[in-house]
Formats: sequence, structure tokens, C-alpha cells
Amino acid sequence: MTLAPLREPSTPERRTAPRRVSQRTLAIGGTVAAGLLAVHWYAWTQTEFSLTALAEGWQGIWHFLFGRDQTYPNGHHVTTEGAFPIDTSWGETIRPGIGYCLLTVCIGLMGTTLSIPASLVFAVLGSRTTNRFPPLFWLARAVMSVLRAVPETVYALMFIAAVGFGAFPGVIALAIHNVAVMGKLWSEAMDEADQGPVEALRSAGASSYQTAVHAVLPTVMPSLLGLLLYRFDTNVRSSVILGTVGAGGIGFYIKQSVSGFRFDTMMTYVCQVVVLVILIDLLSVWLRKRLALT
Amino acid sequence: MPRLTTSARQLDTIDRGAPMLQIDGLTKRYGATSVLDGFAMSVAAGEVVSLLGANGSGKSTSLRCVVGLSRPDGGTITVDGVPAVDGRPIPDVAMVFQRIHLVPRRSVIDNVCAGALGRLDLARSWSTLGFPAELREEAMACLHRVGLADRATEKAGRLSGGQQQRVAVARALCQRAKVLLADEPVSALDPAAAEQVMRLLRSLADEDGIAVAAVLHQPDLARRHSDRMIGLMHGRSAFDLPAGAVDDATIEALYRPDAEAER
Repeated sequence: MTLAPLREPSTPERRTAPRRVSQRTLAIGGTVAAGLLAVHWYAWTQTEFSLTALAEGWQGIWHFLFGRDQTYPNGHHVTTEGAFPIDTSWGETIRPGIGYCLLTVCIGLMGTTLSIPASLVFAVLGSRTTNRFPPLFWLARAVMSVLRAVPETVYALMFIAAVGFGAFPGVIALAIHNVAVMGKLWSEAMDEADQGPVEALRSAGASSYQTAVHAVLPTVMPSLLGLLLYRFDTNVRSSVILGTVGAGGIGFYIKQSVSGFRFDTMMTYVCQVVVLVILIDLLSVWLRKRLALT
Repeated sequence: MPRLTTSARQLDTIDRGAPMLQIDGLTKRYGATSVLDGFAMSVAAGEVVSLLGANGSGKSTSLRCVVGLSRPDGGTITVDGVPAVDGRPIPDVAMVFQRIHLVPRRSVIDNVCAGALGRLDLARSWSTLGFPAELREEAMACLHRVGLADRATEKAGRLSGGQQQRVAVARALCQRAKVLLADEPVSALDPAAAEQVMRLLRSLADEDGIAVAAVLHQPDLARRHSDRMIGLMHGRSAFDLPAGAVDDATIEALYRPDAEAER
């Protein structure tokens, strides 16, 4: 079958299809693969990754799972409660555990909600759609990058040092980290917003603030709420971890039961965390679906 | 309805000969590509001028330069006798777009009110809650003018394309524009809606004395609804004739492939 060209071709006629994979692609692909291999070999050696160590440690794993009794030569007796069977005492573990879980949710909720105003300011300043003044734009981006580079756990340790153990330093730690993360996510959502309404209002003489409030925010509001829910979900998980360094909630008691060789209690708390995380996840998915419909 | 009374008065005092919008020697280049190369045109109050030309001939760019969305490299733009500052919007000039650019999630009336943002201070524009009652009345009058007052409380995104474009025109009226620029206002609309929007633009010129300049891709619509037609080629005006004097040969020459190939 011959097909007549649509118009006179502007380039010399060429009928053969180009090669599937060019020499250049092959060369670049080979170099990248070799580089990745080298990096992973280095990481393998540095982390002392060893399957034999894991196999030889089976006894430790056994003791962790099912416990053991130890009597030292001086007559001292140590009992390690294994993770299984889990601790099912209602009054001493399960009921307080539910309370600790609620506290963990409260920490996540407060950390997320308190970060909203500052996140919004940073998002508006850090998006090209809403901020057309480059120095301020770069400053906002830089501050967010620096704040984001410090993990929540490190913030928590800093604020525990300042105000002592408890839920409060956890809330502050989450809020600060979340300003940086949610500010970035929100500013990206604004960057991707339809620029049409922005241009329309700008041509009508609207200021940057006015275009942000009357064109960008109403357009991206569903995305912002979706990201907020996602961050709430993430922050509840983070607050479990913050607890293990002393910032309140269920994490704190997980750490405590590990320190006291009460792996059965620990496992109960872990199960409660699993249930909690699944519940929050379901709630967040459900809410986001409802949001998408509006 | 304040808008209607002022426009009725305007009608008697309007000087239909004086150019409301005057563009001279407009140039704009993107890198090595020259988009506008000494483009000149004028639109009088109460006049509808249509701009025609192949893709890339500079029609949209010229309009964008007037409202400050593009910064021209040279030339002068004068609105109602006042020279414009490059890259700044002009309060007297409003623009409607092919893709309409309303905020779909906001109500129709809030979208119309947004046309007035340029003259509102922060206390009255920090949110839609700040819009003064007089502005909402004025917006209703503008909506009444385009025949959509009964849809005021609906979300803009729920309206049909033609209705949305009329809301965009109402937003321009709420800006109290003396010049209305329309960048392919009917390209995304079905023929009936297109006809309705064009009739609306025509009546804004006839009854309210607004100077209308519209980029159109349909020579037929342009002939029927405009007073004058300007053909753009390579960033300059190739012809500038009364609508009745533009024949098919002139139009065909404007869209000939060799004219387009050079862009």
C-alpha cells in the first residue's frame, strides 16, 4: 500500500522507521545501571546487611515472641513476657491503651490544625500563581525547605528538652514540620491551578491578594482539603513515633513496655495502633471521596 | 439598577467618532519570533471591530498587550485619551476569553462582582463576604443586561458554555469597562450560543456605547456583527475595511497556507 504524502514534504523523503532503541539510549541506560549497582554495593557493605546474622539471632526472636525466664548465678530472677499471647487485661492495658490512642489522635489533630494558617501563608507566598515578587517567593520556598529538612522527631526532642515530656511538645513538633510539608504541597496545588481565572481577574485590575482569594483559592479548595486530610492521616502516624521519644500518646507506652521487657503489653498497644491507623485511613478515604463529588 | 440608567445617559453624550481605543506601532517578539510588528488599530465608542487572521498572526497577543497580560516591546496604547503603562491593566478595558475563565465553583453573582476588584480596597474585597451591597446590586443589573439575572445564585460551572460567556461579559460590565476586548469569544460555543453572544456584544456597542474589539475565526459572524474588520498577517494589519467591503477573496488571501507557513 502506498500513501501519498499530505503536502510536499519539507525534508528529504524518508520511509524507513527509526530504530527502536538508539545507540545513545543504550549508552545512557548502561551507565545509569552501572552507577546504581555501585551505589547499592556500597550501601550493602555499609549497613552490614547479613542474612546469617538474622538466622543466628533466631533465639532472640524466639524470646521476643514467646518470652523466657532467666535466673542469674546470684539468684536474681528476670522474666521476659513474650509478645504472644498478647496482654488482654482490660483494666490495665486495653482500656488505658484506647485512651493513649485517643491522645495520639489529639496530638495529630492539633498539630495539623494549628499549622493551617501558617501553611496557607507559606503556600500563597511560595506559589508562582499567587506571588509574583521573586525575592519573597524564593524566601518562602527556602524557609519551607529548611523547616522540612528537620524530621518531626528531632523537633520533638528539642521541645521536650525545652518544656519537658508530654503531648504538648509533640503538638508543637508536628505543627512546625507540617507547616513546611503542607505549605509545599498546597503551593504545588496552586501552581497547577487553572491560570485562566487568574489572568481574567488580573486583567480586571485585581491585586495579587485579590487574585489569590477570588480566583486561586476557590479553584484549588478541594485539592487543599484533600491534602489536609492526607496530612492529618500522616500526622497521626507520626505522633505514634513521637510518643516513643517521650512526646505523649500510645507511642510513649509502647516504648515503656519495651523497656520493661513487657512485650505482651507492647503487642497489645501495637495492635491498637494498627486498628487506629486503619480507622483513620478509612475515614480519610471516605471524606476525600465525598470531597471529590462536590 | 444603576448600570442601566448611566448607560442610557451615556448614549446621548457619547461621541461615536472619537477613538476610544487607539493602538499604534505595537511590537512584540518572543525570542527570535516577531509576533507583532508595528500593529495599529483604533476602535471608536459604540463600534464593533473584528480581528481576523491565521493562527500566530498576533490577534490575541495584541489584545493581551492592551490589558497588561503581555508586555509589548514597543508602540503606544491609548484608552479614552489616556496612554497606558506597559504591563499594567487599564480599569476602562475588560477582556473576555475563549475559555471563559470564570471560577466554576463560585456563584454567578460572585463571579460578576469580581469584575469590580480593581476598584475595591482590601476591607471590601478580603473575601466575597466583604463585597458591599451596592456592588451586588450593580452585579445583578449587569446580569440582567446579559439576560441571566435568574441564575445569579447558581455555581458558574453549572451553566452552559454560552451562558458562562455571557456571565463573563457581565463581569466585564461590572468592571464598568468602556472598551471590551473579546479573544475568540465564541470559538468554543455552538452556533446558536455563538450567535447569541455576538448579538450581545453588538447591543453593548449600540446601546451602551462600548467599544468592542473581538478576535473571530468565523468570517461570516464577523461580517454580520461588526462595523469594521481588520485582517492580521505577520503581526501587521493586512486590511482594515468596513465589514461590507470585505469580500471572500480578501478573506481567503488572509488564510492562505503560505501566509501561515512563515510564522
